[in-house]
Amino acid sequence: MEPIAKKSLIGQRVPKPDAPDKATGRTTYINDMVLPKMLYGKILHAGRPHALIKNIDVSAAKALPGVYAVLTAADVPEMFFGVGRDNRPLKGGKVRCVRDEVAAVAAESEELCDEALRLIKVDYEDLPAVFDPAEGAKEGAPLIHDNKPGNRSLAYQFKHGDVAAAEASSDVVIDSVFNVHYVTHCCMGTSCVIADFDCDGKLTIYSQTQYPYNFKMDLAPALGIHPGDIRVIQPPVGGAFGSKLDVYPFEPVCALLAQAARRPVKLTFSREEEFINAPTRQPVRIHMRTGAKKDGTLTFRKVDCLLNNGAYTSWGPTVPFVMMRTFSSHFRVPNVDIDCRAIYTNNPYAGSFRGYGNVQATYATSIHADMMAEKLGMELLTFSLKNAQKSGEVTPQGARLNECVFAECLQKAADVTDFTAKHARYAAERNKPGRIKRGIGMASSIHNAGGAKIHKSDGCGTMIKLDDYARATVITGASEIGQGIDAVICQVVAEELGIPMSDITIVNNDSAIAPWDVGVHASRTTFIAGNAAQRAARKAREQMLNAASKRANMPADALDLREGWVVHDSDGTPVLKIDKLLREMHFSREPELVMVSEYYEPPSEPENKEHVGDMSAAYSHAVHVAEVEVDTETGEIRIVKFTSVQDVGRVINEMGLEAQLEGGIVMGIGYALSEELKIVNGQVRNPSFRDYKVLTAPEVPPMELHFIESHSSTGPMGAKGIAELPTIVPAPAIANAVYNAIGIRFFDPPMTPEKVARAIWERDSKLAAAE
Amino acid sequence: MTAKVDISFTLNGHLKKVSVPADMSALTMLRDMLGMTGTKLACGEGECGACTIMVDGVSLNSCLMYAAECDGRTVLTIEGLRTAAGLDPMQKAFVEKGAIQCGYCMPGMIMQAKYLADTKGKMTHEELQRGLEGNVCRCTGYKKVFDAVAAVVGVTE
Amino acid sequence: MVSQATTESQTPQEYAAPSTIEEALRSIADGDATILAGGTDLMLQTKPGGRLPYRRKLVNIRRIAGLRGVGEKDGRISIGALVTITDIANNELLKTAAPVLPQTADCFASGQIRNMGTVGGNICNASPAGDMIVPLLVLDAEVELSAWAKGAVATRLVPLSKFFTGPGRTVKQPNELLTRIVFARPDKKYSVGYIKSGPRPALEISTVSAALSAIRDNDKLSSVRIALGAVGPTVLRAVKAEAYLEGKTVNAQVVAETARLAAEDASPIDDVRATAWYRRHLIQVYVKRLLENDSQG
Ligand SMILES: Cc1cc2nc3c(=O)[nH]c(=O)nc-3n(C[C@H](O)[C@H](O)[C@H](O)COP(=O)(O)OP(=O)(O)OC[C@H]3O[C@@H](n4cnc5c(N)ncnc54)[C@H](O)[C@@H]3O)c2cc1C
Ligand code: FES
Ligand code: FES
Repeated sequence: MEPIAKKSLIGQRVPKPDAPDKATGRTTYINDMVLPKMLYGKILHAGRPHALIKNIDVSAAKALPGVYAVLTAADVPEMFFGVGRDNRPLKGGKVRCVRDEVAAVAAESEELCDEALRLIKVDYEDLPAVFDPAEGAKEGAPLIHDNKPGNRSLAYQFKHGDVAAAEASSDVVIDSVFNVHYVTHCCMGTSCVIADFDCDGKLTIYSQTQYPYNFKMDLAPALGIHPGDIRVIQPPVGGAFGSKLDVYPFEPVCALLAQAARRPVKLTFSREEEFINAPTRQPVRIHMRTGAKKDGTLTFRKVDCLLNNGAYTSWGPTVPFVMMRTFSSHFRVPNVDIDCRAIYTNNPYAGSFRGYGNVQATYATSIHADMMAEKLGMELLTFSLKNAQKSGEVTPQGARLNECVFAECLQKAADVTDFTAKHARYAAERNKPGRIKRGIGMASSIHNAGGAKIHKSDGCGTMIKLDDYARATVITGASEIGQGIDAVICQVVAEELGIPMSDITIVNNDSAIAPWDVGVHASRTTFIAGNAAQRAARKAREQMLNAASKRANMPADALDLREGWVVHDSDGTPVLKIDKLLREMHFSREPELVMVSEYYEPPSEPENKEHVGDMSAAYSHAVHVAEVEVDTETGEIRIVKFTSVQDVGRVINEMGLEAQLEGGIVMGIGYALSEELKIVNGQVRNPSFRDYKVLTAPEVPPMELHFIESHSSTGPMGAKGIAELPTIVPAPAIANAVYNAIGIRFFDPPMTPEKVARAIWERDSKLAAAE
Repeated sequence: MTAKVDISFTLNGHLKKVSVPADMSALTMLRDMLGMTGTKLACGEGECGACTIMVDGVSLNSCLMYAAECDGRTVLTIEGLRTAAGLDPMQKAFVEKGAIQCGYCMPGMIMQAKYLADTKGKMTHEELQRGLEGNVCRCTGYKKVFDAVAAVVGVTE
Repeated sequence: MVSQATTESQTPQEYAAPSTIEEALRSIADGDATILAGGTDLMLQTKPGGRLPYRRKLVNIRRIAGLRGVGEKDGRISIGALVTITDIANNELLKTAAPVLPQTADCFASGQIRNMGTVGGNICNASPAGDMIVPLLVLDAEVELSAWAKGAVATRLVPLSKFFTGPGRTVKQPNELLTRIVFARPDKKYSVGYIKSGPRPALEISTVSAALSAIRDNDKLSSVRIALGAVGPTVLRAVKAEAYLEGKTVNAQVVAETARLAAEDASPIDDVRATAWYRRHLIQVYVKRLLENDSQG
């Protein structure tokens, strides 16, 4: 046998293990599933923003052959659920937004369900409605929930230092109001759930959830059953992006239908229903005041945020948790005063969405950085470097920035794009004739990259077992929603155990099997689940090496596991095949199986009441540079080049990493330029891809990605979480580029052709009038 | 009563005979009557391309095609691309270039890519981007998809 | 969204897939038939609660070979109703004789829809944003309508400019089939251009589309035609702008005035895609570009 050299999988380009099945149509997504005896469910949504339900007549629907259950609020206990415990599966008494679920049916086909829904007669008495949170907060505004005076929902404050004194000592102060808009996830697989009760009243729910374990806890109150009696199975899903981090009414409704019909029931949204009823990103009005000294040192930020809560409280109104972090830590800000309030309205409501508040906050902080630099007559890079934190600094909210490479990211981004020279040149060319104007813009942000301790635990459980053929099964709590944790876990485990990645099976889709995990969110999975898998794998490795050491009569640390062999660590001489070792361990006098478990809890802490705490085990930065062309007549913006520089800790799967960044950036560009859920008087006006424009292939600009490896001391192999920053930073980079091109600021994305054309036309008309 | 239409057609090399309601879409027939769930429903409105199949070698949105119109024709779905010899080179490229994340758009994306490769062959990058304009992907940002197609057919600047 | 207590949607009670024009005309002779071409409009419009309930019989005309093909005879170009948008984009005759049509086809929907959608369907659907209609209008195209009358096929030619009566409404009778589109091969001196709103190159329902054709003789324009899409109840001709431009030589002032008049000719509305203001603004931008850039907007 030839010696086997040490080779690392880390940093390689590794295809996702589930890709071949997905490429061939073999994968059965939840939307494709059919269970024996399964019925279909559909919901009757109110379609009006605020009204009393005077009467519901379901008799005709019930009489329709093939209909197994028709439910209204009268048929189910009055249970409350959701982040704000203010939502009910089916609404009785009154409806508070167009989504409100007034009735539901289960029948043999979706067509029959539609027919049954058409037969349900609801008499409404419309109530005065309120759609603007500022209006909703006024005295005498229509009250949306009887027990929520002033329509007040959640509120958050954070104060640090002395903002008034800082303002008094500032040389320059800028003040702007940003209005960041409604967008929605547009998962390609629409919302879908299958519920099935057994004879003991235990529920099996096939769900798209991103957080199977707390999902049980959150679903149970909506059904009045014990969380322990819920088993969550997660078939493959067509995207999630944060949209499945809460329980939404269609899920308990489906379960209630299954309970009533005593048959499995599947409920799927049409694309139109998805646009209207699935959560949105939280829109926010951000009033921000920023001060600086002449030399560029930031002195303070004072921020007032008003959030349109919509009719119910899901994760949307909790985004100040993250927004406040950005306001207080995107650059070194010695004094901050942040006040955030969410006010109930009769609009649809928001959930969590990739970036989770940071998309909104960074739009403001990064545009203010650009404005401040201009006002100070400084180059943006100089200004940014001046205020960029260094390793070891602690932010006002207690985030410890270990391994911080913000300055390196800024410098690199500027260098590779020739930013400073171009920025000056385009600004100088702004007023020359020509209908196409060029601009370049830079933006940056910070995000948690080592989980986020918003629950009591931010941990992940993992078990690994090896069989007699050296095939490993990794049973992990970490969910796969397309982001690629399967590849990362395979890599990490294969690296430790010296077996091929193809010999590893991942089981992570059944709450009855896999151990607890808090969920896929907050860019945490690679970090947390990767750490858990690595630790579990190390235990297995240790057990195997100890056994091998006895057989080879060599100390365990002189051995290594490589390519299916136990080898001499020093020169790679093969000693024993791993499968043989495992069989010998198993079928010996002192039989042992390799089956290990690990629960990894990151070394982070929850925020205290004052919102201070080192809530993530790592933080990272990204800097984006957009170069754009603006057609000053049509208002169309074309992105000529997009550059991203990001601290990734360490590259584990280069291909997966690039894929996350590219996908995130394109989503971020869509947010900046074209995506907007148009909600007028509480109604969604554009519930189709025809009028809600996600980016398509021809609109994708050339992208250049640079990774900075800061080697996190806490991350798996040094890696950091990466998946949200790419979506967070593009919009302000583009807005700053557009400003560089045409000299107009857009405080209210998206920068649609019409908005840009209108702004240019208004400015030019004013100029013409002045002449 | 909705009229029923008896049709026969070749599906991935096999002859199929079915009776379909006159107003049914080819997508519904494939997924709900024939259990061919590889082809996806993501909008049902022609806007996303997840339902792309090839009929007589031409790509189209099966959600807009009438099932009855399949009569006498040759239908190829994502399931038919893989043969006894293994994955189609296009499928393989999508896997190896990391073009697949959640994968929900991919049956349609791969069918359209295959159609482009069959009809255009080598193309410019812009032609490739335009060729995929009817296929929405929410995960990948399309870049890795371009890489995959380029690996199969070659793409010039 | 599910609307409440509407009447039951109609579904087709009969289905036919004729292979000749005559067969098709006989089968729609009673006027109680819905015609299916590519289906890219029909499938969506006939969904329960949609705007177009099925008539008794669904007549699939896709198998009629006589409705396909692009040809030229006696200086007139004929396009069969079933010619797909992809066919138009790739057709060699059209590329030389009327390049504005392939150019328009290239901005139309997506590759898959172009493969299915037909030019006849685009016209009969009579959308104010129907893209193929816009250049065909400036080419002075006529449509051939055929019906089964007194035991024979009867045809009539209707100028496209007289075909539309409102959104989704035309002068075509329920027993008539649009069989082909004809127009005179444009003169060599003819220049035609087309612009559709972006920013996407295609897969975008036009916010505004515009086509302009004219004979250019030393910068002097005659036989001017300007058509505008998505800015009125039907695709429309900008008659005031046309009249003004006729016989003029292009200069900055003429361009500006034509653009202004074209915007006046239109009657755009505010909708979810754009405001009337932006539509008028774009009309002016596009008319200017069409005049200044010769053809290829
Ligand atoms: C995603 C998407 C994008 C689109 N993008 C565009 C676009 O960019 N530009 C654009 O203009 N349109 C667009 N459309 C609309 C549609 O694709 C076109 O109008 C297409 O040309 C319709 O042709 P069809 O053959 O599919 O018509 P069908 O759907 O088969 O028919 C349309 C209507 O015309 C009638 N009809 C069809 N043929 C005849 C005939 N020969 N005689 C009498 N009646 C007939 C039918 O009964 C029906 O009422 C889009 C549609 C979709 C779904
Ligand atoms: S499902 Fe057919 S195009 Fe979207
Ligand atoms: S891979 Fe998820 S939508 Fe394309």
